[in-house]
Amino acid sequence: MADESTRSPLAQRLTRPVRGPMAALYRWMDSRLGLADLINKGLYEATPRRGAWAYTLGSATLVIIALQIVTGMFLLWTYVPSVTEAWDSLNFIARHDEFAAIVRGMHLWGAYILFVVVGLHMVRTFVSGSYKRPRELNWITGVILFLLVLGLGITGAMLPWDQAAYWTTVVVTNILHYIPVIGHWAREVWRGGNQVGPVTLTRSFAIHIWLLPALLIPMIVAHLYLLRRHGEFGSWVNYDPDATEEELAERMRHAEPPYPAKPTEPAYAVPADLDEFFPSQTAKDGVVSFILVLIIFIMAIAVGSPLEAPANPAILNYVPAPEWFFLPLDQLLVQFPQSWMIPVGVFIIPGLASMILMAVPFLDRSPERRPWKRPELMVPAGFAVFFLLFETMLAVNRLFNL
Amino acid sequence: MSLLAAAGPQLSPVGISTGAATLLVGVVMLLHVQFAAFQQGGAILVPLTDFLGMVRKDERQSRFAHGLLKTMAVVFAFGTALAVFAVMVLFTGLWGHFWVKLLRVMFWPLVIEAGAFVTEVAAIYTLYALWDRLAAVRPLRIGLGIVLAIDEFVQMLMINVVASYMLTPRPAFNVPLILFNPTLVPLEIHRLVGNLAFTGALIALVAGVRFLRARTPEERSHADWMGHFGLVIAIALTALQPLIGWEYLKELQLHAYASWYDMMMGGLSVAFLFQIFLLGLIFTAGIFFMWRRVHAAGIRSPILGICALLSLAAWILAAIPYTVGFTYESAVAASANAPIWQGGTIIPFGAMIPWKITALVAMTFVSITAVTVYLKQNSLGHLRWGEARRGQAMLLVTVGVSVSLIMALMGYIRENGRGPFLITGHMLINQQQNFQAPTAPGPALNGAPPSSVGTGPGPQG
Amino acid sequence: MSRRRFMVLVTNLSGAGITLLIAAPIVGSVLSPIFQRRTHPWIRLGDIADVPLAQPTAYVVHFPVTQAWKVPAVPRIVYVVKLNVSGQTQLLSFSNVCTHMECDVHWDTNLNEFLCPCHGGLYSIEGINIGGPPPKPLYRYEHRLDGTILYVRDVLTEA
Ligand code: HEM
Ligand code: FES
Repeated sequence: MADESTRSPLAQRLTRPVRGPMAALYRWMDSRLGLADLINKGLYEATPRRGAWAYTLGSATLVIIALQIVTGMFLLWTYVPSVTEAWDSLNFIARHDEFAAIVRGMHLWGAYILFVVVGLHMVRTFVSGSYKRPRELNWITGVILFLLVLGLGITGAMLPWDQAAYWTTVVVTNILHYIPVIGHWAREVWRGGNQVGPVTLTRSFAIHIWLLPALLIPMIVAHLYLLRRHGEFGSWVNYDPDATEEELAERMRHAEPPYPAKPTEPAYAVPADLDEFFPSQTAKDGVVSFILVLIIFIMAIAVGSPLEAPANPAILNYVPAPEWFFLPLDQLLVQFPQSWMIPVGVFIIPGLASMILMAVPFLDRSPERRPWKRPELMVPAGFAVFFLLFETMLAVNRLFNL
Repeated sequence: MSLLAAAGPQLSPVGISTGAATLLVGVVMLLHVQFAAFQQGGAILVPLTDFLGMVRKDERQSRFAHGLLKTMAVVFAFGTALAVFAVMVLFTGLWGHFWVKLLRVMFWPLVIEAGAFVTEVAAIYTLYALWDRLAAVRPLRIGLGIVLAIDEFVQMLMINVVASYMLTPRPAFNVPLILFNPTLVPLEIHRLVGNLAFTGALIALVAGVRFLRARTPEERSHADWMGHFGLVIAIALTALQPLIGWEYLKELQLHAYASWYDMMMGGLSVAFLFQIFLLGLIFTAGIFFMWRRVHAAGIRSPILGICALLSLAAWILAAIPYTVGFTYESAVAASANAPIWQGGTIIPFGAMIPWKITALVAMTFVSITAVTVYLKQNSLGHLRWGEARRGQAMLLVTVGVSVSLIMALMGYIRENGRGPFLITGHMLINQQQNFQAPTAPGPALNGAPPSSVGTGPGPQG
Repeated sequence: MSRRRFMVLVTNLSGAGITLLIAAPIVGSVLSPIFQRRTHPWIRLGDIADVPLAQPTAYVVHFPVTQAWKVPAVPRIVYVVKLNVSGQTQLLSFSNVCTHMECDVHWDTNLNEFLCPCHGGLYSIEGINIGGPPPKPLYRYEHRLDGTILYVRDVLTEA
């Protein structure tokens, strides 16, 4: 058992002598499970005080992912992953099962809000230079999580087997056949044949509910483990790189675990102003997550999740449009026409972009965290963000004016 | 379409030739655009610099925000006077037929435009009058600045709805399509970015002139900083324009082919060549400025030097005309569309694909690199304001003047690109002036079918 | 070899063996679609006597799904085009699947071209890709004419 003095007030309360009829049971359980220690580990933590609202985005992402997992689990109580029944099962929900329709709506709007929040979380950790030594792997696991979330978004869009889902499946699986040499086989493996058919849906389904989550969850665990190991960096507002050595040493002396985070530059090792993770940071985390979940809930009821006509491969007047978060990539398909340019648009540009994103901690290795002192990163990133937004707007414009 | 087809009032125009009427409107509107663009770019820069001044406790930024706002308040009156003159006298008097019809289709956007105008007057003059008193509640002042910026954005959006509609109209019964027509998005972004770049370039221009005339070290120091600030904005934002412009032209090619043809191959291609020449000049002068300015601080930056040379090379490549004849159209007409060494008039190195594209892509990447490297040097604290040389001030003036010219040139191209139409496919210029009968179509240039003029659905109808 | 190193070896080898035994059938099942044989029966498309010259006409043809278990036949569109080539009538039967990303193209009577709604691909009446992203002409179905009755089967050829 941990020494009383390193226990959080909460853990101290949990281990204080319990009275009443349940006391014996509680002591029995706690001596075997070590619950108080566990709670202490989980909640007794120092976090930087200034800018704390910006640091709520990570936990908001976590909450929404949990929401996705739970709502997804219960969608499976009705949904049937089969080309002959998928659409009917969701149509049944839409017509006869109001609560399931809300669950389905929350799963969709949860995904939409998730993209926004993950994006903001990424922007905030980028701007604050949180990815720097020793937190490079926090960033890299983050990028992998981002790619997994994108994959979940696109495979999820394939499942309702309405027109939108069908054409999403066709286009996305077809992209694979532009891989040099093995492309044709890759497409057949996903499709389960040379054309989109029954096996395609079951495979997309398996990827969406098992393969990607089985990668996602351990990756989240790794991300959070790394967060705890190195401590929340926060951002430059918590640090004073011009402080004298004595001041820094003084700060180190007063730091609570997990600071100082080693190995790092002394100036950025310990925030000037610390707060308790529980309840100061968790309160803010809670407020932000609650507002987001509320938005998801309202949108699920007010707008819900659409279901178009059933999939029909023989159609002359339907305009397939991808989900909004894939519009920039769809626009690249337009801008890179004809034979050899297509792989450039679908593999080389997105692939290079992901690789550069992963490499960020190794490209920018100076200890400097203030964004205006890092124009070599902020300027190209600014252009990249503009490019993404511009591509999205162009795609909207194109689809609208077809 | 039903709205347009409804018989317009039989207005008799003021007796003045089409050429003179066009010239009048053209000159007034080109001037107005320069004022309005400055106004919009400024409305974004005022709260931005005010905010930066607050969070970074930078007196220079705050002072700059105030100076910019004062300039805007003064200039605003001129720009407005021009707009009012254009609407009340020129449009109503000389182009009444067109104006009435346009108003019927674009009633609500123009109403919102007018409303936003009122808000703008209120915001600008409130800020102007209360600037110093609001210093005590800085966030409020910044908030008011943001209100101004949003308001200006709405105004420009509405005017862009009208302008893009005139170029690529959709059927009048389909309101969402009219508002969100194919060129609205590219035009909106092109202008938003362009107005900011233009404002930055004007700031650089003023700073350059001030630097050249500065007497005291303080004046020189402030002018040096202002030039640096304006130039970075001008070049960084102009770096986005080749891509945006390319996409804009793509939409034109799809939805207003005749205009696109005229700009790329026909009579307007000469203006377009001059435009790309100016673009190369802006980038090259801007990057030379960065290189030399860093040099003046005693830093040798080979990367900036290489950027400057690459930009120069791209400029030269981009400025090669495609034909020694007047236009591609005339080369074809004279059956001279063969390379010059085969007796024709074509210079293959002037071709859009791949040469001009290569040059434009190069300009984009080179200027992004240059801005990044230059800002890095500045962030390291290498630049001390006031140490610039006269040559750099002249480069600032060059950038400022070229950006101003390119704005006017693009306005000219856009307004003439629709020729012979006022509203593509719907209404001809010469149905407005020397107005005879609504049914008589004018000469249809560039293969636009005369039958689709005046009544009936447009090309996309 | 020391006892210790031997034990390490046994541990690693067992791990590798377990992995191999589980992975081999999984990889095989994932890749199985590549090795499946498919049949391509002839399907009656219909009477094409009335198809006008130079006007692509869409027929819906139900092809049996040969890729998996029994599911309803899949409707697909076959464009039948009659062209006058130097006095002779030429008969073409296109798949309407875009060669770019496989969206359904349609004959646009304003453009007089096949238009793909996804990214704006354009094809001429002969099915040749003439604009936008498509890298290849529209695929053609193998067809057989029995009087005026056209039969097709989903064996696609490049033009
Ligand atoms: C998709 C699921 C993700 C979850 C559940 C998640 C969760 C979290 C949480 C709870 C935190 C701590 C609170 C905070 O600083 O906001 C955090 C920190 C961090 N995340 Fe994520 N994150 C995800 C994705 C990403 C992505 C996409 C990136 C970047 C590419 C990223 C990079 C980071 C970094 C660098 C930190 C450390 C921040 C610091 O110490 O200042 N994360 N993450
Ligand atoms: S799928 Fe037809 S153009 Fe892309």
